[in-house]
Amino acid sequence: MTKKREITFSIVRGLLAIAIALIVATILIFISSDGATFGEKISATGAALKQFLIGPLFRIGKNGLQFEPKRLTDVLAGMIPITFTGLGVCIMFSANQFNLGVEGGIMLGAFVSALAAIYMPLPTILHAVVAVLLGGAAVGVMMLLPALLKVKLGVSEMVCSLMLNYIVMYIIKYLMNTRLADKSKGQIQSYPFKETALIAPIADTTVFTSSKLTWGFVIALLAVVSCGLFMYRTHWGYTIRMIGINQDFSLYSGMKVGAVIVLAQVIGGFLSGMGGGIEMLGRYNTFSWSSLPGYGWTGMTVAILAGNNPWFVPFATFFIAYLNKGCDMMATYANVPAQLIDIVQAVVFLFFAAEQFLSKYRQSLVVKTAKEELAAQEGGTAHV
Amino acid sequence: MSNLWSMLLSPEFFFSIFRISAPILFATLGAIVVEKAGFANIGLEGLMMFSALSGSLVSYYAGHWFPGLCAAVVTGVVMSLVMGFFAFHLKTDIILVGIAINMMGSGGTLFLCKVITDITEGTAMASTTGLITRSLCIPNIKIPLIDSIPFIGRVLSGHSLLTYFAFVCVILTSIMLYRTSLGLNIRAVGENPDAASSVGVSVIRIRYTAMAFSGLMSGFGGAFMSMSYAQGWSLDMVAGRGFIALAAQAMGAGECLGGMLASLVFGFAQALGIRFSAIGLDSNLASPIPYAVTIIGLVIFAVSRKRKAAKPRVQAT
Amino acid sequence: MADVQNNPDVEYVVQMKGIDKVYGNGVAANKGVDFNLKKGEIHALMGENGAGKSTLMKMLFGLEQPTAGEIVVNGETVQLTSPSVAIAKGIGMVHQHFMLVPSLSVAENMVLGMVPKKGMFIDETEAIRITKEYAEKYNLHVEPTARVADIPVGMKQKVEILKALVRGAKILILDEPTAVLTSQETEELFHELTNLKKQDYTIVFISHKLNEIKEITDRLTIMRNGRSMGVYNTADVSKEEISRLMVGRDVILNVQKDKAQPTDTVLKVRDLEYVNEWNKKMLDHVSFDVRKGEILGIAGVEGNGQKELVDMLFNFNKPDAGTVTVNGENILGVSQQLIREKGVSLVPEDRMLYGIAGKASIEENILSDRSTKKEYNNGPFFNLNQIHEDTDRLIKDYTVLCKSRNQQVGMLSGGNIQKVVVAREFSNNPVLILADQPTRGIDVGATEFIRKKLVELSRSGIAVLLVSADLNEVMELSDSLIVMHNGHITAYFEDTSSLTDAEMGEYMLGLKEQTAEEIGRVCHD
Repeated sequence: MTKKREITFSIVRGLLAIAIALIVATILIFISSDGATFGEKISATGAALKQFLIGPLFRIGKNGLQFEPKRLTDVLAGMIPITFTGLGVCIMFSANQFNLGVEGGIMLGAFVSALAAIYMPLPTILHAVVAVLLGGAAVGVMMLLPALLKVKLGVSEMVCSLMLNYIVMYIIKYLMNTRLADKSKGQIQSYPFKETALIAPIADTTVFTSSKLTWGFVIALLAVVSCGLFMYRTHWGYTIRMIGINQDFSLYSGMKVGAVIVLAQVIGGFLSGMGGGIEMLGRYNTFSWSSLPGYGWTGMTVAILAGNNPWFVPFATFFIAYLNKGCDMMATYANVPAQLIDIVQAVVFLFFAAEQFLSKYRQSLVVKTAKEELAAQEGGTAHV
Repeated sequence: MSNLWSMLLSPEFFFSIFRISAPILFATLGAIVVEKAGFANIGLEGLMMFSALSGSLVSYYAGHWFPGLCAAVVTGVVMSLVMGFFAFHLKTDIILVGIAINMMGSGGTLFLCKVITDITEGTAMASTTGLITRSLCIPNIKIPLIDSIPFIGRVLSGHSLLTYFAFVCVILTSIMLYRTSLGLNIRAVGENPDAASSVGVSVIRIRYTAMAFSGLMSGFGGAFMSMSYAQGWSLDMVAGRGFIALAAQAMGAGECLGGMLASLVFGFAQALGIRFSAIGLDSNLASPIPYAVTIIGLVIFAVSRKRKAAKPRVQAT
Repeated sequence: MADVQNNPDVEYVVQMKGIDKVYGNGVAANKGVDFNLKKGEIHALMGENGAGKSTLMKMLFGLEQPTAGEIVVNGETVQLTSPSVAIAKGIGMVHQHFMLVPSLSVAENMVLGMVPKKGMFIDETEAIRITKEYAEKYNLHVEPTARVADIPVGMKQKVEILKALVRGAKILILDEPTAVLTSQETEELFHELTNLKKQDYTIVFISHKLNEIKEITDRLTIMRNGRSMGVYNTADVSKEEISRLMVGRDVILNVQKDKAQPTDTVLKVRDLEYVNEWNKKMLDHVSFDVRKGEILGIAGVEGNGQKELVDMLFNFNKPDAGTVTVNGENILGVSQQLIREKGVSLVPEDRMLYGIAGKASIEENILSDRSTKKEYNNGPFFNLNQIHEDTDRLIKDYTVLCKSRNQQVGMLSGGNIQKVVVAREFSNNPVLILADQPTRGIDVGATEFIRKKLVELSRSGIAVLLVSADLNEVMELSDSLIVMHNGHITAYFEDTSSLTDAEMGEYMLGLKEQTAEEIGRVCHD
């Protein structure tokens, strides 16, 4: 198939997947919308949909739409943690390793960074850098367990990493409850972070500070570039991708398959840990997470939307963050529970991952190309 | 310490092992059959969440546990068939389908819970624990005769109907796999799908059937969670049992009896955790025990498998 | 030579008209093929690997659907949407790779999909009875209660034929049935087939063994390049004519080569022993040397230990005993990475599994064994200019037909895929090349190219071990040759030029064996 047709196909397919997800969302919104009569429900659904689709950027007022910078910065800030988990998942999935530990990873990273922010005396900037790197390193080490068990013993990295998520969560909760909690507070939270460890907003305006659009966003974009270069311009990234495509081939070619499988998972863990640290030090003053934050699962959606290609991650995260904000807007203004995002996300995820989705259309393009090539080869005499 | 020992030797402790194992056992049987058919369903967790929700809601609306149980089972089966559609027709990686179902199973169930309770009760509820009373739960059953035996009676009698059913299912599943044509077809499809399809066995239909079976089992497991283990559905209540079942399947070497033993080991680990917290250990330190045991179990299983493979072959002709 | 394609007077049980098939990856496997079967005939379907025979038969058995064309069975136009539909129309197929479930018993395999029941359960006794009944009726002896995993190949094939018959097949498609059989088993099979023919069964016999075709078939259809080259009465065409129609030209590929001047021993294999998981001895005291500047061929019917041998040499498996060294250094149980560092290259038998990453580009496939090379890396990053330059050069040198180096390898034709594999394996300064079935199933042009290249490399001082089931190839290319049968070496020929096919055949089939001394000369200590 020609490159152009390949691209056309991908675009049509992606748009259709999104359209289906929106239709599902519309049905669910309709069911949950207030209104006594059918007509009322329809108009309530319309209003909710408007919030969902336009709300993330515009205030919908009586006198038309009005651009809201704060909402845009909210969306951008929402991209930060899922960019890191998305990148982490991209790298692990590229190696065909279904390590689902980014969920626990982001929590552990946030926790370790928080500890460093509370207890380490370090100058500004350096403090944040050290805290975030420690968070990343901790998760990198955590991922050694599923990775090594997979490589050495053939233990499913998927089950192992899932179990680790729960273990990490409970241990953090245990530590918070018993040793680290600020007993003077009503809820379970840590002592406040040192000022030196906080990650500052990019600009000192109310819009940026209230959205928590911090330098973490810039770091996230840098991480995208680094991962893109790593995956497509270095022999490590190349090896990861080849292992993902055909592990037997990689082994036969003399690649260090075992080591690289471990490497991919450690890097994936490191990225998610960093993401947790950056989110924690950028958005909060104390550590108070008591359950897994869900960024890991969203990261998997991001990776699927991006086709495991780091360069596409920013687009995927923007899309997801936008939808997320849309759901928040609906929850605020239209009384639709915000968890709608989980369903919409899962539907988009499913259709993007569905290889045969639109396969007939694809097959027709393939046949068309083959016919053209045959015709070209045989001087147009082929009767195919 | 003596306190702990007396607690561990009490009939209540053994009773709780069976109670805790039951939902894991259901999911494990689902995992086993799907595995025999040649793939993995990692969406058991999400399926159980949906079943738990629908079971508790229907039980409440109908005012009886039985329609609730039916609803849970139907939910599990229908959703597993949808998963099958994506996996078999749209050729989505079955693992990714499972991930998607699990994603939905977490926030999606909460969304549905809020929306449905908002419509029917007038307020959006974040759980159904307020709706389900003891009488809407699946009944517990005292077994005559056994009930009157000291100690054993308190271990084996008085369980939920579904707990007994879970262990009956071990036998039924085993018979299904090894004594019926469906089981023969499932095993053939799992081992050599081309061979099965070449003699007219519809591979896709068998895979759907296996998938539906795992949905059925998840339905029972989910119903047990919200209508027996706990009273009512709440967010993330399945808490990884669907994943533990995958590990139990592997540790049980893919057979029903082995899967049952593995489920009991996890039940034991969790029961132990609960007892620990009862004697003052922080529950958050006790809660991860079953998950840690799962990893340790997988490692032991993998090491023993490796040992077996490394043994020299018997020289015979 | 009469083309008997469309005789209106004859009644056909099967007519396939104008069949086209384009696969999902764009490969056009069948182009306007016509094919028909008369009742009670044995009909040969011939053609080289990749000519489209299997695709055509898969469509007749409902495993694939034609992109265009019509299939008529017993005068009725049919849509064979699945094997069950085909079975219902009386069509059965015995596949080259057996369609049996190893862990089930013979009887269970027999009744799979049509299980006799007693109430809700399988009626085992009835299954065994059915198996016995059919086995006796068609004189095909099998053991109903044995596990399929434990029975010999010949019996597996009988189970396959019985499976088709028990389902009421009147038309039997046999896909290269003799490829896995001993000559005695083949004879037995022919006897059984003739029996079936007498009972009015129609048989399609896919093969490229000319002698067998001449012996047993009534008519034949020849395919080349996805097209039918015509239908003939077997008695009316000579072997030479068939060969010409199949291959498309009269010249036998004749690779010019000078006499080898072998020097130092590179590969030294001593006393390799291996018993496989079914307790069959696959390697039995295998010892040989390969020297610089020579091509040592390993001939033999497939399944006589060649695959196991190559697996050992590249650490895909571990032998029970023995040593293997390259230039004096052990390579047994050493990682593939280290084996490659010692200068060993492998053209693998299964190129789709090991040889390529189908979804990666040509460039990425060529890069696989050299991505960490110094000149390809600037610090942490790839030196893309150098990589592009070398890739383009290899594409040109190895005449890989492609749009660009970025094209997906999986989209190329078989011959071009293999050229990508050899371009990589031949270009990283090897001291030893292991070529396992290097030209299997690829077009004539690519075959000739790869063979020439192998000779050229050996003459430049590289040691080459050529494993090939293609007698023509192994005899043409090898400077010296060993024959494997039943896991051990049965002959060594220092010079292949005076060797005849007949002589080779006797060694390959185990009818003759050289003395230990004669064979021992392959070790140049």
